[in-house]
Amino acid sequence: MRIALAIAAAALLSVASSASAQGLKGSGSYGAASCGLGSLVFGNQPGGVQILAATTNATFYSQTFGITTGTSNCGAGLVAQGTKNFVEANRETLAKDMSRGQGETIGALTVMAGCADSLQVGAALQTNYGRIFTSEQATSDDVAKALLETLKADKSLGCHVG
Amino acid sequence: MLRPILPLLALLALPSPVSSQAPAAQDPPLSPTGGEGQGEGAAAQAQAPATVAMPDRAYLAELQRKARELRLSDDVGWLRLGHWRPRLLGGVKSEADGREFFLAKEGKTDPAAELDATLAGFFDASPKAEELDDAQCRFPARFGYLGAKLGFDLARLPARRCPRFEEFYGRVKATGATLVFSSWYLNNPASAFGHTFLRLDQAGESRAGRDAELLDYAVDYSAHVDTGNALLYAFKGLTGLFEGRFNHYPYYYKVREYAEYESRDLWEYDLALSPGEVAMLVAHLWELGGTRFDYWYLDENCSYHILGALEAAAPRLELLSHVGPLVILPSETVKALYRNPGLVKQAQYRPSLRRQFDARISLLRDAEADFVEPLASDPDTALPAVPPPRQAAVLDAALDLLDFRRGREILIGADAEGAATRQRLLERRSRLGVQSPRLDLTPPQEGRPQVGHPSVRAGLGAGVTDGAGAVALTDFREALHDLGDPDAGYPPTSQMEFLSARLALSTETARLEALDASLVRVTSLNGVSRFERRPSWRMRFGADLLKDGGCERCVAAVAEVGGGFAALRLWDSLDLYAGADTVLDWSPRLDGILASRVRVGVGPSALARLRLGDRFSLVANGRYRFLPFTALHAAWSTGAEARVHLGRRFSVAATWRLDPTDQLAGALLLGYF
Repeated sequence: MRIALAIAAAALLSVASSASAQGLKGSGSYGAASCGLGSLVFGNQPGGVQILAATTNATFYSQTFGITTGTSNCGAGLVAQGTKNFVEANRETLAKDMSRGQGETIGALTVMAGCADSLQVGAALQTNYGRIFTSEQATSDDVAKALLETLKADKSLGCHVG
Repeated sequence: MLRPILPLLALLALPSPVSSQAPAAQDPPLSPTGGEGQGEGAAAQAQAPATVAMPDRAYLAELQRKARELRLSDDVGWLRLGHWRPRLLGGVKSEADGREFFLAKEGKTDPAAELDATLAGFFDASPKAEELDDAQCRFPARFGYLGAKLGFDLARLPARRCPRFEEFYGRVKATGATLVFSSWYLNNPASAFGHTFLRLDQAGESRAGRDAELLDYAVDYSAHVDTGNALLYAFKGLTGLFEGRFNHYPYYYKVREYAEYESRDLWEYDLALSPGEVAMLVAHLWELGGTRFDYWYLDENCSYHILGALEAAAPRLELLSHVGPLVILPSETVKALYRNPGLVKQAQYRPSLRRQFDARISLLRDAEADFVEPLASDPDTALPAVPPPRQAAVLDAALDLLDFRRGREILIGADAEGAATRQRLLERRSRLGVQSPRLDLTPPQEGRPQVGHPSVRAGLGAGVTDGAGAVALTDFREALHDLGDPDAGYPPTSQMEFLSARLALSTETARLEALDASLVRVTSLNGVSRFERRPSWRMRFGADLLKDGGCERCVAAVAEVGGGFAALRLWDSLDLYAGADTVLDWSPRLDGILASRVRVGVGPSALARLRLGDRFSLVANGRYRFLPFTALHAAWSTGAEARVHLGRRFSVAATWRLDPTDQLAGALLLGYF
């Protein structure tokens, strides 16, 4: 019954499923594993692009997300690496939240960097927006570095970014 | 820093008297660094260096005997851990399709042999190069389950360390679990019925608000799609030819993907699980992550296996018995949670980008909203002369509009101009120096999947036709929702139907007098408004009994696509759609193009829907089709159906349809199951 049903439906869905097959393809090569948040490894694609691809039934597949194959070589610089991963994956939303001085990515950063208050962190990041996101082409590395420097420079934020 | 977890699992897996309502512990039950005070004795034993001692054969035999005496291999907890399900012709078979998931040769069909082999594996103290070759490390949940049921004397078992499992366990730091439903997404057939996955919560509500949930891990079950060919994709997806696997991601991946780039609402159901159940869930997900399943789009899909994992970790739950059997819909799995009283602690809501934008617009005055559209295309447009907080609100809306329209292209680097516009708007917004207030959105009533009507519909009724007099009417639909059904729990402007049929049989001759059957029928209405320009569309594959003179009472296969524009919620109750359709009809007896059996129709169509409260709906349809190169030249049809909903389970329908050669009027009682 299941097979019969399936074959009948296959014919139909195939016509409509072109959209589903348009997902982005993983490159198949990923950079060195890292520590912190999810030991995310982005390789040569921007994190956001991988987000689009790492979806339900889509064409992307990576051992990075495997439960028994995911790796994590924890070492020094946990917050820095975690922040970098976070920036890479959340870049567009983070930029928007920073310009607004408020938002859930700022709340999450506050937790991650052990800061005292997300409202203060939001205000500080908003003030320094132009220094952190210098242009739409700024690399996520540079953005993460500038972001951490901002958090470190303002002692009143009480962040723990080693 | 890592601590042995297996001995603790054996303790935690004991059925605990902890009330399922109890709030999750403040600390993870097995924090990788802390966790003192829990199971000290057992942990201390396992700290002993894992030197290879002679396996205690006598103890193994004793445990195997005890398991047989307790008939553990028939126990629901064991059967669920191995995902064994009854087969049609007796016996059981596991849904897991990877060899590595079984230690016994016949393990896939023999839970008793697998149990014996698992116990024997736990006693295998020989050194393993690969951690997963060690039974204790590959099957921590089985270890926990058997350890608790058989009362393992851990001193008599080889003490194993499992660094990778321990690292995983310590990294996800789960103290609770949440089932997340990502709502209907019509733009992708694979997601049209929604999607579910699990989130392993680090500290639930006790932590700094909900923002920190972004840092939790999500676990999903998905197909490894290895083709870009749409036809092959559909075929393989429906026939179990894709490999399905469990994976884990930071939750922010999922929020970005679903809520923003696909603009789908997320519904989060916090589950009341005991610390032991949470520990078993993590351990079992590790077991599942190490194997593979055949992915079946219709039933053994993402939602099915997520429920299966939950059931295995908490045998007290009854989840899979409340869904299916032929088609498992994600929304039905949410309802299955609610069939276990007290399981859902609370339902949370994460609005899609689209809803956030709508909320921002609703905060603006008309004169302010006029600036939103120009700003989204030209970031240097002058701002309205209002105080900075109001200007900030205008810019906030413009940014969301830009993201809603062009976010995906900007993200993948395909829209350089959009990216520059965005950066300019962001700089402008940051310089205002006003912090936006948090958007607090009330969860929409209509979207909550748990309140929706059941998706199978069946009905019976009577009517009369011009041609045949009295007729009996029947109605059946496997899934999911049409524009006339009660709209609570469903997207109010979408119709998604799979396997539906309405037919009329003459009461005198038992001959078929009317037929409207569909394999798939989708209608997606998008109301045209100030900020919405997307067209509405619909499509259908099915069969009709033609009554337009194109043939003498023939049933034709029909493929239909159409697009148009809609105006929605006029006077809060009326939706209108007008568009054009293209239709392909085929029947062996059809008087088609030239001398063929095929004809193509093109022409206008319209739809109107009136809803009064949640009790009444009226849907009217009309279409006219030019049929070039046929003797008929043109055809048309029109119809309407009114329904009164008696709760979520029953509706009464009055239906009418007029075709060039016949007319049908009747009434039906529809039930939702």
